[in-house]
Amino acid sequence: MGKKELSLAAKRKQDTRRAAFVFLLPIALLMIVFIFYPIVDTFYTSLFKWNGISADKTMIGLKNWVKLAKDTSFWTAFKNNLVVMVLSICIQIPIGLALATFIDFGGKKMTIFKVLWFIPLLMSSVAIGFLFSYALATNGGIFSAISKIFGGGNIDLLGNPKTALYTVIGVIAWQFTPFYMVYCMAAYTNVPTDVYEAAIIDGATKGQYFWRVALPLLAPSIKSAAILSMVGSLKYFDLVYVMTGGGPGTSTELMATYMYKQSFVKFNMGYGSAVAAGMFILISLTSLITMRILNGRKKGDA
Amino acid sequence: MKTRTKKLLSLLLVTVMGASLLVGCGGKSSDEGDTDKTTGGDNEIVFWNIGTEEVDKAIYDKAIEMFAESTDTDYTITSVPVQNDTYKEKLVIAMSSGECPDMYINWSGGPMNEYIESGYAQPITDLFNDSELPDRLLDASIAQATYKDDIYAVPFMNVSLSGIFYNKEMFEKYDLEVPTTIEELEAVSDTFVKNGITPFALANAPKWTGSMYFMNLAARKGGLEPFNAAVDGSGTFEDECFIWAGDKILEWEEKGYFPEGVNSLSEDDGQARQMLYQETAAMDLIGSWYTGLIQQDSPEFYEKIGWFPFPGLEGSDVDDSIMIGTIGDNFISFNCKDDKLAAAFECATKFSEDEMVDFMVESGKVPPVKGVENKLTDPITKSIMEAANNASSTQLWYDQYLPPAVAQAHLDTSQELFGGTMTSKDAAKKFQEAMQEYLDEAN
Amino acid sequence: MKKTKSRLSWGIAWILGIFWSVVALLPFVFMVLNSFKEKFELLTEGVFSIPKSFNLENYKTVLTGNFFRFFFNSVIVLVISLTILLFISACASYPLSRFKFRLAKPIYSLIVACMSIPIHITLIPVFKMSKDMGIYDSIWALIGPYVATAIPISVFILTSFMREIPKEIEEAAQIDGCGKYQMFFRIIFPLAKPGLATLAIYNGVNMWNEFSFAYTLTQSSANRTLPLAVWEFQGQYSMNTPMVMAVLTLTVIPMIILFIFAQDKLVKGMTAGAVKG
Repeated sequence: MGKKELSLAAKRKQDTRRAAFVFLLPIALLMIVFIFYPIVDTFYTSLFKWNGISADKTMIGLKNWVKLAKDTSFWTAFKNNLVVMVLSICIQIPIGLALATFIDFGGKKMTIFKVLWFIPLLMSSVAIGFLFSYALATNGGIFSAISKIFGGGNIDLLGNPKTALYTVIGVIAWQFTPFYMVYCMAAYTNVPTDVYEAAIIDGATKGQYFWRVALPLLAPSIKSAAILSMVGSLKYFDLVYVMTGGGPGTSTELMATYMYKQSFVKFNMGYGSAVAAGMFILISLTSLITMRILNGRKKGDA
Repeated sequence: MKTRTKKLLSLLLVTVMGASLLVGCGGKSSDEGDTDKTTGGDNEIVFWNIGTEEVDKAIYDKAIEMFAESTDTDYTITSVPVQNDTYKEKLVIAMSSGECPDMYINWSGGPMNEYIESGYAQPITDLFNDSELPDRLLDASIAQATYKDDIYAVPFMNVSLSGIFYNKEMFEKYDLEVPTTIEELEAVSDTFVKNGITPFALANAPKWTGSMYFMNLAARKGGLEPFNAAVDGSGTFEDECFIWAGDKILEWEEKGYFPEGVNSLSEDDGQARQMLYQETAAMDLIGSWYTGLIQQDSPEFYEKIGWFPFPGLEGSDVDDSIMIGTIGDNFISFNCKDDKLAAAFECATKFSEDEMVDFMVESGKVPPVKGVENKLTDPITKSIMEAANNASSTQLWYDQYLPPAVAQAHLDTSQELFGGTMTSKDAAKKFQEAMQEYLDEAN
Repeated sequence: MKKTKSRLSWGIAWILGIFWSVVALLPFVFMVLNSFKEKFELLTEGVFSIPKSFNLENYKTVLTGNFFRFFFNSVIVLVISLTILLFISACASYPLSRFKFRLAKPIYSLIVACMSIPIHITLIPVFKMSKDMGIYDSIWALIGPYVATAIPISVFILTSFMREIPKEIEEAAQIDGCGKYQMFFRIIFPLAKPGLATLAIYNGVNMWNEFSFAYTLTQSSANRTLPLAVWEFQGQYSMNTPMVMAVLTLTVIPMIILFIFAQDKLVKGMTAGAVKG
């Protein structure tokens, strides 16, 4: 009797495994070809001294990695990435959540805002780079104009090593906040309407409802959003390359722009691969550790 | 914990093996790819270039058409235009996979040397000397296409020299003469600063624009010797003339010769030209392609523009006819053999035929051919060509001449000078360090 | 008292909302305004002026060029890639979020780690592969990388969405004799719609504006996608900004329309509705 039950459980387990295999097979194939292989290839290339185009590569062992560990430019870039990461999480997610909450509370008539607020995410970096380079210009730019109204002088935001990074972070936040808005809007759909109605009938204000009912329900989504923002900012490339190219000096250099320059501009593909691989390790570790911490806390709560 | 890590590792291993298997199979199934499109099929010559925009596209199309009409071979040319900013990257990606177009443009200098060293550019010395090109092309342009005694490319697009464009009306208004020495240039600039006008329109976000000031100043102070010595390792970039150039930039920046926030202004977006057009700046040290650009933007405004070469130092015995720029700008290199190479080369020769030269001059270009000054009607372009012909030598832009990693170091440090965030000594030191690293690795 | 306070904060929220609308919209407005200008006008009058006339010359030039071919290519790539992506990501997220098997966690971690892959390291291997497979210089070459590079983030988002689906729904279906596959198609997939809509929007925008793979994997103008349409107005030393802005404006409009439709899927109360149905 007992034996039969056990094999039933075992059969169930096997079924689960088989189903999991079937469901996971398509992405596994695609990821092996387009993601794992490039990663392995990058790690392999990082062992060579190679200009990126020549047929002969010289195996130099871990020399590129030793160089990477000592490369102050790379660690400066990493530090800049961390600044981008912290500020992106602190700016984009709260604003995104606020916008989504506003829309959620407002109901159907808010569709127009949804569309308006979404537009920054749609714009190509060519247009953003162009418009912001004029808007941020020291002479005749919007921020200088505002500063003049308040009696200040012209301000050079992008050309000043002290402010360039923060300025770029502002532009990135402008572009990506809509994504977190949409993300939070979707998260709100997991909060059933009757929960809201029940809370209001119980005499809760909208503020109370948000802090005591909605926010705890949204917490898992916000955690995921934080991970997304983290990974996104640590491998960020686009607008920084368009707007500052990493300059002035190394003030806005990010790991990705540094890697790009080594690989495609300076003909140091071997070292560029080491940078890319190092970057991959750093980002994966950061995100996996953060995830463990966030989930660990969840278990503690339960 | 331990078992989990083990499993993760074994999983990774399996997938990696799967990946290499899959990719390996993919490679084998089509050894000698018949759908190979970077290098053309038997009779197709694939030509990568940057002629995406109207004017340039027409030039490429015309040359290819002329080839098709006149050639005795049965080769056809397929032009693949790629936008300038992404062109170099696409070329690296293709070459890194062992693929290279049959003919492709480059800018000579450091990157071309990399292509040659990596086996992606064939020497064409014999073909070249047997053709009419030695008679047609300017010697300086041939020199730029030469590497270790062999010719590797055909120069063809535009003689681009740095010089100073200025607003004639503004000079008149303040009763100023065209400066013939750096001291006079400074006096002129001081007058403009006093009157609330920015002397130089400069947009230095892309870095190569500011580099022109550094190169010209260094050449006027020390000639070309210090640069050549630094490159071959017998001298250094910490030579007096480079430090002097850095100090001058710092000094000019301090005196307000450049626009505010110069390092955040974008040249591609037209922020330097905007200052010229709005007449908030009076001069612009830039490449001679500005003649074509300004004419396209506004023929009326072009009437107000004059040009003079970067002046020399008073009382200095350094040759001040030296020009900084490129004789040709674009160069065609070849990655094919025998008949195909001959046909591709034939196509490249079309760019310097009379009919083509006329067409290019009409489009605002100055092809690097002998006697082109006689075809020019535009007074500014003429004076630029005169300066080019009088020049004892022409120095290619540092950022194109130097090995790419060293070039980047130069661009970065020169930008820091304009921002006033680095001393001239530190800039020179960093520049030299990059050069030294390159020399050490080469040996 | 409570009510006035709440009304006050609602008022402040409105003001902030309108302020944000201005911030979000201004660059877009100037993109459109500049697309009407003439080149010289843009350079003398500046970026932030109102165009002298709203002539449609720029748009005419753009639309009589290759624009529609690029547009068509982009649509094909987008529709195919997005469909495949959404389906297989949902497939993969289902076992990862709802099954209990030993490898679930390591696989999930591996996928999360893959989110950190820098796009540039994939360019060279993918170029090589598309050459070997003979699909280089065709829009088909784009689909594989577009789908694959979007998988990690999509699975991550969908898994976290599916985890939030109440267990009771699944249990109820199980009692009704629903197998794993039926469960997926009948219950989980429909319930994941808000998550899928988010992904469709986000990945759709990314694929529509994608640039690096597009120029790496195609070369003849017949096979280019929309983001490369600006090339015709960008030279070595300058760009024809008003034309570029016209191209970019035309590129954005279909996405806005798409978003208006897609955001409908992000309506509250779907969970409640689905339980009943």
